[in-house]
Amino acid sequence: MSTSTSADLAVVVTGMTKSFGPTRALDGAGLTLRRGTVHALLGGNGSGKSTAIKVLAGVHPGDAGHLVVNGREADVAGWSAADAAEAGLRFVHQDLGLFEQLSIAENVALAAGYPTRVGRSVRWKELRAHVAELLERFEIDARPEQPVGSLRPAQRTMVAIARALQDRDDGEAVLVLDEPTATLPAHESEALLAAIRRRADLGQTVMMVSHRMQEVLAVADDFTVFLDGRSVAHLVGGTDVAAPTEAELVAHMTGRAFDGEAGRERVAVPQQAGEAALVVDDLHGGPLRGVSLSAWPGEIVGVAGLVGSGRSALLTTIFGVHRPSGGVLRVLGREQTGREDVKARMRQGVAYVSEDRVGESAFANLSLRENLSASVLRSFWGWRGMATTAERRSAEELVVSHAVKAGSVDHDFATLSGGNQQKAVVGRWLRRAPRLLLLDEPTQGVDVMSRVDIYATVRAAAADGCTVLVASSDFFELSTLCDRVVVLRDGVVDSELTGDELTPDHLTAATQSSVLTAGDAR
Amino acid sequence: MSTSVTSSRGAGTAGAAAGSGTPESPGTAPTTGGRAGKAGRPRRGHDLRGLAEKNALLVLLLGVVVFFSVLPASSERFATSENLAVILGTQATVALLALAVVLPLVSGYFDFSLGANAAASGVLAAGLMSKEDMSLAVACVVCLVFGSLVGLFNGVLVTRFGLNSFVTTLGVATLLGGLIQWYTGGQTILVGISPALVDFGSINVYGVPAVVYVVLLVALVLWYVLTHTPYGRSLYAIGANPRAAKLVGIRTDRYVTASFVLAGAVAALVGILQLARTGSATADSGNSLLFPALAAAFLGATAVRPGFFNVVGTLIGVLFVSITVSGLTVASAAAWVSPVFNGAALLAAVGLSTYLGRARGRAS
Repeated sequence: MSTSTSADLAVVVTGMTKSFGPTRALDGAGLTLRRGTVHALLGGNGSGKSTAIKVLAGVHPGDAGHLVVNGREADVAGWSAADAAEAGLRFVHQDLGLFEQLSIAENVALAAGYPTRVGRSVRWKELRAHVAELLERFEIDARPEQPVGSLRPAQRTMVAIARALQDRDDGEAVLVLDEPTATLPAHESEALLAAIRRRADLGQTVMMVSHRMQEVLAVADDFTVFLDGRSVAHLVGGTDVAAPTEAELVAHMTGRAFDGEAGRERVAVPQQAGEAALVVDDLHGGPLRGVSLSAWPGEIVGVAGLVGSGRSALLTTIFGVHRPSGGVLRVLGREQTGREDVKARMRQGVAYVSEDRVGESAFANLSLRENLSASVLRSFWGWRGMATTAERRSAEELVVSHAVKAGSVDHDFATLSGGNQQKAVVGRWLRRAPRLLLLDEPTQGVDVMSRVDIYATVRAAAADGCTVLVASSDFFELSTLCDRVVVLRDGVVDSELTGDELTPDHLTAATQSSVLTAGDAR
Repeated sequence: MSTSVTSSRGAGTAGAAAGSGTPESPGTAPTTGGRAGKAGRPRRGHDLRGLAEKNALLVLLLGVVVFFSVLPASSERFATSENLAVILGTQATVALLALAVVLPLVSGYFDFSLGANAAASGVLAAGLMSKEDMSLAVACVVCLVFGSLVGLFNGVLVTRFGLNSFVTTLGVATLLGGLIQWYTGGQTILVGISPALVDFGSINVYGVPAVVYVVLLVALVLWYVLTHTPYGRSLYAIGANPRAAKLVGIRTDRYVTASFVLAGAVAALVGILQLARTGSATADSGNSLLFPALAAAFLGATAVRPGFFNVVGTLIGVLFVSITVSGLTVASAAAWVSPVFNGAALLAAVGLSTYLGRARGRAS
């Protein structure tokens, strides 16, 4: 540890222990937050970091441990939500808890209470003034009466942060962010992280959990890594200390040497020979204004582009969710009329994983088994009804082959972690042995280890001759996973990156430059 | 159709708003640390609670039977085969209607027009036989077609045009009630009804009214359809997440419409059985049948497969309510006791299933 005195330390946690039944979620974990720094809490799913945050927030009572927050000492065992608030801990969860239809002012007031006159009528003017000051202080370019739904995603998060800190901006407050960028597109998370960084430079203490290594490395000063409920690494930054590399951090998270570059090696660049599996020519419909591209069997083709560029619409149109209004679409050698629906495209060998796991992939209340077999129901049907035994057995096989961690295939899907849910959703589709696999943000909100598993699965499918189209806002993902990437801009293919050009930096340049040119064009 | 789905979705799972979109919905990584830990805990506690949950209603039913068999005020007349036959006979139509109600509910849609549909079908069957001199068989077929068409109408409005199922079917129910008034002129149809039908409605086979066998047959078919066909499994998937269902290739609009059609046909059968039981068709709106049926369906969703509407649970629900009411009647309780009991039982059942759902981390 460094030589910092206790006055520089906002939070010191030692020996934090918490069990759920016989499972030890936390096993003597420790955590030290220096004042005015951004501290990253890292770990795979089930490493105990979420539990640690919940114990700190007083949501779960801890079993044992010692805690010093802003000089106040306390036992973890008796720590309550009221104590946490009193000590200056402020939490912003991934779900921001904002009401989109209500104004910023109302959202703030719902947390802090409305200022009222005698007779309980709301003093709107005072509320607006307070919120205007808050927005100014947190550098949010918006008006108090604006509905939250009209804000950009990064701004919404900042509103949630401002709301959490509104009564306690004295430098003692400790802001805890649970995956603030998990659902944000790349440029939004950049904006948010920059804003968070500025708060820290002004003396705000921030702890954040994130699965996106690149971001964490860019913004955090210190790092704590959890593994199996223990803190296995404390990395304190400083001017004279070199920042850790991603490989280093992942090695701590996995407890084994991990070659972050291993994902990059390609067995062989597939030949663009023979007939293309997918031919899109001048495709129109929705945000698509004449997309043309081809993909060959065994290829992993990335689709980059800003929100609204038609990235997701391209995939949904190919899958038959939306009908194209014009253009040619040839899937696996068959000319499409454009009137095929999802089921028809599935029969032709197309599979699609939506970017919205909760909203469009998960049957949360159904079992894992039912989720896995949703795409192949008919195959289990005979005159004696659904062959549940065969269904269960095949589900168990899939769980193993896709490395899904689950207690039992009969548990509710909702009890699985995000990464495991996503692996199951991918498994649901790959069991159909698709010839064309469409993935939209396949690893959004997925932990590093699950991400590696998913990449391996996708590569294996491609090696078997499946054509894969990956739409993503994660440039690191695109450059790691794909053989080439097309960049969409305003519904047309703007450029294509391959080989040495295929790096996150080039992708950033390609998409951002398209913003500039798009601005000129209008 | 998304608006109608979300607005009427409360019905999809009896575990209240357990469906999509709740803020703490699954899948968000932050909750996973604790969750992943919990997944490893021994499953015995989980299984025991699940077992208790699954069979609570059945145990309660047996408890009620024992209670009234022992209670001095009712013991003499309650546990007799005559009483059982009466209960089963009078509740057969409610049970069948409850099964019809379950079909659209599985995929998250209400159909309040089923009671009126049954009443209209009964009146139509009676009218066709007495006014048009149709044979029993033809009248029955016409009725079943009529019921299915009403279901088709509902289904198309709800899926193709995206109307809210709650309001749409309420509208159709009111409309049918008016048509019944028009068709009968407010009169009860007494004459010209096939004596074969009325005989069928009053005979017992092995001590049990014949109509009960019809109910059991339909229940068996629906049980098979809902639990053992891709169609039924798809309906449950639509109930769990309609958008995800669409994206795994389920033709949701078609499937939901079909469930309305099937429910309409079953409702028509209810009308015919009702005609057989009473031997006459009154100008009734059918709502007196619908509400106990709805209650039974919701009670049933707390049993067998808790959180989901299901056939066996619904039958247990019907038996639970009707046996209790019969017991209270035999014990000569005041007239207001039965509805109070029914209401309380429904509230308790829904409350319990929501609570258990939360305890399991579903709706919390």
